[in-house]
Amino acid sequence: MKLEWFVAFFFIPTASLLAKKTTAASSTKWWSMVLSPSMTNSVTDTQGIINIIDPKLKILNKRQRRLVSQNRGTLAAINRAVKMAVSECRYQFKERRWNCPTFNKDRGPESLFGKILNSGCRETSFIYSITSAAVTHSVARSCSEGTIESCTCDYKFRGDSGNDWEWGGCSDNADFGHRFGKKFVDSGEKGRDLRHAMNLHNNEAGRKTVSSEMRRECKCHGMSGSCTIETCWMRLPTFRTVGELIKERFDGASRVTMRNDGSPSDRETESSFVPYNPSHKQPASRDLVYFENSPDFCERNDKFGTPGTRGRECNATSLGVDGCDLMCCSRGSTTTEIKVKERCSCTFHWCCKVKCEECTSFRTVHRCL
Amino acid sequence: MAGVVIENLSTKKLMGIVVLLLLIQIACFLVGGLIAPSPTSAHTHLATKCIDPAISLQKAFVPHGPNACSKVSTFAEATEKNIEADWIVFSIMMPHRPNRMDRSFQYMLGVLSLDIVYKEDNEMGDEPELTILVEMMYNNDDNAQGEWKKMYSINETRKLNCEFFHQKSPEAEGYSYDCEPIPLFELGTVHHKYYLLNIRLPVWEVDPDTQEVVRELNTNLGAVQELSVVEIHQNGGFTLVWLTLKTALFPLVILAMIWFWKRIVQLARPPVLLERTILALAITISILNLPLEWLTFFHDMPYMLLLSDIRQGACYAMLFSFWIIFVGEHMMDQQERNRLRVYWRQVGSMTLGCMCLFVFDVVERGVQLTNPFYSLWNTETGRRLAMIFVVLAGICAFLYTIFLIFMVYGVFKNISMKRAALPHMVAARRLHYEGLIYRFRFFMIFTLICAVMTAIFFIFSQINEGNWKWGEDKHNIQYSSAFFTGVYGMWNVYVLAVLMLYAPSHKNKPTLQNGDTSEGSQVEFEMSTNVSSTAPSTSAALNPSGAASQAGTSEVYQLLGKVAND
Repeated sequence: MKLEWFVAFFFIPTASLLAKKTTAASSTKWWSMVLSPSMTNSVTDTQGIINIIDPKLKILNKRQRRLVSQNRGTLAAINRAVKMAVSECRYQFKERRWNCPTFNKDRGPESLFGKILNSGCRETSFIYSITSAAVTHSVARSCSEGTIESCTCDYKFRGDSGNDWEWGGCSDNADFGHRFGKKFVDSGEKGRDLRHAMNLHNNEAGRKTVSSEMRRECKCHGMSGSCTIETCWMRLPTFRTVGELIKERFDGASRVTMRNDGSPSDRETESSFVPYNPSHKQPASRDLVYFENSPDFCERNDKFGTPGTRGRECNATSLGVDGCDLMCCSRGSTTTEIKVKERCSCTFHWCCKVKCEECTSFRTVHRCL
Repeated sequence: MAGVVIENLSTKKLMGIVVLLLLIQIACFLVGGLIAPSPTSAHTHLATKCIDPAISLQKAFVPHGPNACSKVSTFAEATEKNIEADWIVFSIMMPHRPNRMDRSFQYMLGVLSLDIVYKEDNEMGDEPELTILVEMMYNNDDNAQGEWKKMYSINETRKLNCEFFHQKSPEAEGYSYDCEPIPLFELGTVHHKYYLLNIRLPVWEVDPDTQEVVRELNTNLGAVQELSVVEIHQNGGFTLVWLTLKTALFPLVILAMIWFWKRIVQLARPPVLLERTILALAITISILNLPLEWLTFFHDMPYMLLLSDIRQGACYAMLFSFWIIFVGEHMMDQQERNRLRVYWRQVGSMTLGCMCLFVFDVVERGVQLTNPFYSLWNTETGRRLAMIFVVLAGICAFLYTIFLIFMVYGVFKNISMKRAALPHMVAARRLHYEGLIYRFRFFMIFTLICAVMTAIFFIFSQINEGNWKWGEDKHNIQYSSAFFTGVYGMWNVYVLAVLMLYAPSHKNKPTLQNGDTSEGSQVEFEMSTNVSSTAPSTSAALNPSGAASQAGTSEVYQLLGKVAND
């Protein structure tokens, strides 16, 4: 019964939307696995691996399903990746008019980030980049956690033989994260138009950000602890660092347009587009690209599916985008004083709270009209 | 010392020997570069957060598999569920599934790193100290199904060195501290198939008798998010190549040594100091070559790490003594030496330095036999003690270098003086000095090449490591392995050459009617120099040694001194 519910919930809306028109969102259905009720519970079963024969796989395409079933444990990693991406996106955009709103349930699976994905604006490029980076990051993390078995020694890519491990150890987990991420995330982008080229580029930019932020740490363990023998490894960056860097690239994203020499590029690489402004240089591999200007996000916009800034909290003293003037698009704001109950003077142990008191304070809140 | 082989050897034979040694050298280098994998590999293990409300130290908490513990994925979740800090057990199983450990890994190191984020109400305190309760267990059943057997249960305290690169403000919440990785353990043996680490960060120290809380622990760590352990071991492939190399070199040096000593015994006179030193050098390098490590495949020998450090150290000590004695015996002044006591200052300083390192090593590795989590560097007093040892060893090495430079300078001064006087000498006396000079210069150049090559290879392998990028093609040459096997082979070749070329010659002293002997030997010398200097491009070399590179710098001075004198 549960299965049928899942199919009804995910598959039917997907199918009906696909039938209407193929949109960019068709490749990104996997994002919505985070909405699946069984997945939102982050406590894994005793095996530590989420069962792969799961109806929510309907939201994956054939290639993704094959990848996931070949690499046990990746599904949980992808699920966590989407959550990481959403929360990081919200964090990075919390002071902007578009604050990375997500939608669930009502609108069908591809609408996790809303209709903004159907456009080709800066925000879209950020979403693609951060989700792709999250998959790479999360899969690499799961590898070092030991919940994905196929990554630590990638026998599949080097033929069989368990000898590899005994003979020469294993390659870095981030390598697997990158390769898996590329296969999984890019698998839906099959078109040859500018949108697909843009998405592929932004996906790769996200992954590259993760790999290039890997930090090298070393340990000397030669004779008497000297550095004649030194072993180094790569440490995964925190996802906050990755988010911050992608946000920087978002701020400096370059607008591109289709190559106008009429030669249809036969490969979906960055060579299929050129800078919108011919005097700008070709975007680098870690730069974000977009081809459509963003709306101002002030009012509800049905084309982009954005709710506008009505009712958003703003900062009366700030002159930046989070200030009431800019945030509310000069519509003005209301000021209310609210009573907040907070936990305070907590004592902590290294991980968990021990005890807190409850304090009451008053806070002035400004909200956009 | 009477005439040695090198003085009386024909150019043809000398060439033969040089080519033979060169081939051994090239083989050692290629074996490391092409067959062996990289010497070590590191694997990151992110700890699984198991829950143990009973705080039972008896149970094994396994991260995954059929007997997996109950766990939380984040501490936010733990807080929600009212889980307390001392219920958390960080569980790490090594190696990653589906692999298993192999005895050829020889040793295993662990490095701990913590991911701690800034939280305004739970900030990291000043000089945070980490107290950990670690249990190490092993399992030899297939797929780690059976019971975990306890190896060590240890309580350790480490200093945490962390920095925060953002401004501490509410906006910075959730940003991570940058913490230095902490050395966790060093196991001198990898005898079992699976290893399990259960790490707890206790919050109370409880008096074992009264069960009362003595004090709070881990109070100023801040908000710990993750704990991970990087496990490092020697690659099995490298171990096999390395041991094969040792096994092959061992009989070679032993044979050369026996041949050398037979020649000495055949002489009418008792062996002189230099000959005894050469024998001692050959013996120490043979002890180093002895492939004892094969035994680790059958027996659990945790002391192997200590043993190989000692063997290696003895070899360095012997090599340095040999250099001093060799130079001293070629001083060419009228002073009678031939006794070890004459060199007490030089050899003494070197022995003292080596003893310092020896004591340091025995303490560090010795205690690690019973507690692999121990390190002298962990405690304040231990660190001071270790520093004293290291600084003392450094001073001794410096003194030694000064002595050696002075002696080499003295020899070159004497050489140039004797050179000027040569034409006026009696023929026999002239030949004697020419022989001495030739021997010495050959030795100097040969040693210099070996030392400089060691330094160059060391620097090269370091630079190459520095440029290392992840995801690169794995099938290129393994420079660091080539460095280790090459340098090891080079010093073996060095000892072989010394044994063969500096053994007493059978031939009688060059006869007087052969008027142009000196010229001939000069030609030979020039040739051998040329050959030797082409060797390094393809050759490489005794174990990785910082000391050898130190020696390298001293050799440069020697070379300068030589040039100045020439």
